[in-house]
Amino acid sequence: MADTSVNRPSFIALSRRPWFWAWVASAAAYGATLLLIDGGGGIDLIQAALTFAAFSAIVGIGQMFVITLGPGNVDLSIPATMTLAATLSLKFMGGSAGLILPGLVVAVGVGFSAGVANYLLIRMLRIPPIIATLSASFLYQSLAIWSNRGLRIKPPQALSDFTTGTLLGVPNVALVGLAVALAAWVLLERSTFGRWISAFGQNERAARLSGVPVEMVRALTFIGSAVLAGFTGYLLASFSGGAALNMGTEYLLISIAVVVIGGCSIAGGYSNVPGIWGGALFMFLIVSMLNSYGLGAGFRLMITGAIIIGIVAAASGRDPQ
Amino acid sequence: MNTKAKLLGAAALLSVAMPALAQDQTGDARIALSNNYAGNSWRQAMLESWEKVGQQAVEEGTVAAADTFTTSENQATEQAAQIQNMILQGYDAIVVNAASPTALNGAIAEACSAGITVVSFDGIVTEPCAWRIAVDFQEMGRQQVDYLAERLPEGGNLLEIRGLAGVFVDDEIHAGIQQGVEENPQFGIVGEVHGDWAQDVAQKAVAGVLPSLPEIVGVVTQGGDGYGAAQAIKAAGRDMPIIVMGNRQDEMQWWADQRDANGYETMSLSIAPGVATLAFWVAQQVLEGADVPKDLTVPFLKVTQDNLDEALASTPDGSVANVEYSLEDAKAVIEEAQAQ
Repeated sequence: MADTSVNRPSFIALSRRPWFWAWVASAAAYGATLLLIDGGGGIDLIQAALTFAAFSAIVGIGQMFVITLGPGNVDLSIPATMTLAATLSLKFMGGSAGLILPGLVVAVGVGFSAGVANYLLIRMLRIPPIIATLSASFLYQSLAIWSNRGLRIKPPQALSDFTTGTLLGVPNVALVGLAVALAAWVLLERSTFGRWISAFGQNERAARLSGVPVEMVRALTFIGSAVLAGFTGYLLASFSGGAALNMGTEYLLISIAVVVIGGCSIAGGYSNVPGIWGGALFMFLIVSMLNSYGLGAGFRLMITGAIIIGIVAAASGRDPQ
Repeated sequence: MNTKAKLLGAAALLSVAMPALAQDQTGDARIALSNNYAGNSWRQAMLESWEKVGQQAVEEGTVAAADTFTTSENQATEQAAQIQNMILQGYDAIVVNAASPTALNGAIAEACSAGITVVSFDGIVTEPCAWRIAVDFQEMGRQQVDYLAERLPEGGNLLEIRGLAGVFVDDEIHAGIQQGVEENPQFGIVGEVHGDWAQDVAQKAVAGVLPSLPEIVGVVTQGGDGYGAAQAIKAAGRDMPIIVMGNRQDEMQWWADQRDANGYETMSLSIAPGVATLAFWVAQQVLEGADVPKDLTVPFLKVTQDNLDEALASTPDGSVANVEYSLEDAKAVIEEAQAQ
């Protein structure tokens, strides 16, 4: 596999990295948009891309771990979990700066509960994950509607300032997203747990027989995904001035798209973290590029679809597994 | 022979008198709301208005029931099944905000032939047997450009924020805006993004396109996207253009804050979610036997610099400006349509 090529960092070796094409595509989309920009707009675009990609990357990392578990494993409750966590935590904080950290605990707690509920549906009722998380998402969305009837509550000013602020020119939410990615990378590549997840996705039976605690791995993976979704909901609502019932909608597609574009195997077992960020940047930059060139929505969706197919084809052309 | 003629005469008399007897007899009528979507603040306010007005009408004995039903997935097939259930449940009238202008026609024709009055509003249906309370979305687009033309006689570059691609409403408002720009050639649309009627999506789309745009003097919108646009423009450090708003409380609050800080001026227009209550009263009028034209038009709810504080005060935090319509309002709308 590509691991042996670390010692000779040539272009060919690099291009065999599964995440390579996502970054190439992001750079190309950025370059093409840059042609239309004069002055300091290039920096603005990078800042905007880092900011918005951070949200996609955090939910995408949760989704990546779930997809790594193998065919049929996908978390469709991410949008509803984001909305519910954001609604409840912002309602709890009620704009009060002293409650920022407890509010974060509420958001993460909501995510944790949603993850536990998802897992119990899968484990106790033996419902396939795709159906379990889909039906659970209706429940979470209804709870969000019922708890606040769609009213937008403002985040505390300090939290709003933090999420929209920058540190040395780098958006704060991007730093948070990078920290999450770094932790996920260590977990996936350097920990026993990461090996277990990959083993689970490559062959569940073999993993079970070799002593991997497969049910614990599955439980923690779904809980992790929901916790990251809850955390993203908290950040996104604070960033955009309040929780809205439809705030998570587009993150269902995005969370899966960044995993696929990032070069992770959709059949599970093989994933990588840098690709998630590459995919997240790409999903933002491609829309910006096509909007900047004034292309219509129909064309935009077509091109996005074609590029996703192209990247997946290019990424799967690497070493046979 | 004589008796038969008498009987016939009596029957004829009865049939003439029946409609008159039916007057003011909607007390045992049951009206159902078939709603296709509840996932945003506008729809939530709509449901609340319906419940408030419906409950009051039930208490006063005007109707027997005013129940609401919402589908979970915004799917036409699901809503068609829901309407079929309502037929079986024996409702006298179905008020519908439709997921599709055409896909429900079969179910609605069934309801009509079962003798049920169907009134569609906001998301209207094309089935001829149903009443339509339509929004003139094109006019909504045109009025935005007209307002900007008034404020900025020398014109300039505009950014257009559209709604959800592929939805009828988005195409209509867009067509109105295009027409407005044609009539006011001093304006040009230099950027067009889809904000999906959600502040965070609009914010993201605008932030992505801003770096490549020249200076913009105005932003035309579709509602639910103005605040997100303002956030993105502020983050990019640009001069704030005139952003036409869509009656959301956060938009109006931002506008009021800007007005107090630097005299910012704009306008805001949308449809009040309470339009559901207008549909309710129209259904009640049809059941009562009133002569109601099939096509009615919803009035816009407009917020200007002058009534901004008033509108803000009456709108709950995080909701959308709303009015509930009364029976008199419904009669006025019906009369207006009759006059045309």
